[in-house]
Amino acid sequence: MKVTVIRSGGFAGIERRGQADSADDPLLDGLVGRVDLSLLPPPGRIPDQFVYDIDIDGTTTSVGEAQLTGPLRELVHHVLDSGG
Amino acid sequence: MRCTIVPPHILDHMAREADDPSLRESARRSLVISTAQRTERRILPVTAPAATQDFTPNRTIKDAGHTETLPGETVRAEGAPPTSDAVENQAYDWLGVVFDFFEAAYQRDSIDGAGLPLISTVHYGQGYDNAFWNGEQMVYGDGDGTLFTEFTGPLDVTGHELTHGITQYTAALEYYGQSGALNESLSDVFGSLIKQWHLGQTADQADWLIGQGLLAPGVNGVALRSMKAPGTAYDDPQMGKDPQPADMAHYVNTYRDNGGVHINSGIPNRAFYLAADAIGGHAWERAGRIWYGTLTGGKVPSTADFATFAAATVDTAKALYGASAAEVTAVRQAWTGVGVRV
Repeated sequence: MKVTVIRSGGFAGIERRGQADSADDPLLDGLVGRVDLSLLPPPGRIPDQFVYDIDIDGTTTSVGEAQLTGPLRELVHHVLDSGG
Repeated sequence: MRCTIVPPHILDHMAREADDPSLRESARRSLVISTAQRTERRILPVTAPAATQDFTPNRTIKDAGHTETLPGETVRAEGAPPTSDAVENQAYDWLGVVFDFFEAAYQRDSIDGAGLPLISTVHYGQGYDNAFWNGEQMVYGDGDGTLFTEFTGPLDVTGHELTHGITQYTAALEYYGQSGALNESLSDVFGSLIKQWHLGQTADQADWLIGQGLLAPGVNGVALRSMKAPGTAYDDPQMGKDPQPADMAHYVNTYRDNGGVHINSGIPNRAFYLAADAIGGHAWERAGRIWYGTLTGGKVPSTADFATFAAATVDTAKALYGASAAEVTAVRQAWTGVGVRV
């Protein structure tokens, strides 16, 4: 599965983007199986917090950094760090 | 896997406007009510208290020890001697300057106007490239060292974050779309004014930059934002180019960044610069007073767009300086200059 993460917001307001494919990334493949985007609350409105737009094979959601925990947090940082 | 695809602004809209009460209720339940939204609005009249009044800050600096756990361990309370950590002490000192500014310029006693204790957590996260206001306190990262230095460094960053607190307690501008960009802009406006006050600068001497000193050596840029010339603060292979528009003709429609709150804030930022430049002198004394009176005067709805806020600044200028005053003309022309009709 193709996973795209776009980080926006923050005091600096600078966007960062990463993309990876679970087909050639066993770590990501494991993480994708452990996250359920349907359980996430909307990002809330915390001034200057980072907002993450996550796209897993066409299904998307927005998450605020305060809600970013567990395997989803790992997934987001893993994808952002892999660039693309 | 099932995904939530309804963005929060649509949920917001549904919660308020949907015809079916159960749909409204469901949308409402789906929304996380941020601390900011839960805070009671405290609108204070813009009146100067007695000259004998002397407000004192109540600062607490906490240290997250490079974790992302809040609030962290208390390392310096009000009146305590400096610690051995320069970042902790810088955060303490800048909080004092921001507190003193709002007292001296607008007779305001802290964030809520009623002496709210000021709490800052430093050393948040590892290489964390951000600072934010979480509804109750300020939080600062140390930066990654490659693109950003410590967020405690520039005074205007602390001014920016603390002003988010003031906005929360006053106009409570919703952090989305144009009202969110106004919320951001007010934090930049007072962040810059605090720096100008601290340096004793007039409008023509100020750099009108936000986050000057925050970019690491080698990054091609002067700051994060320019109020005088939005869109020109940086242009760097790693960071990209400053995306801020300088007028309504270049307004950016996006759902990211809460609807571009850090992008479109360039438009009201430049309007403030134009007003301050036309009025001249110390910008916090007249232009700043007009913006402060508008923010705290209780007449701006939390969903205000640029035009609504602009009209309110003109009204505030008239109330402060008289309908035919030069300040009123300056404010009107400033908004016209960025393509906002008033």
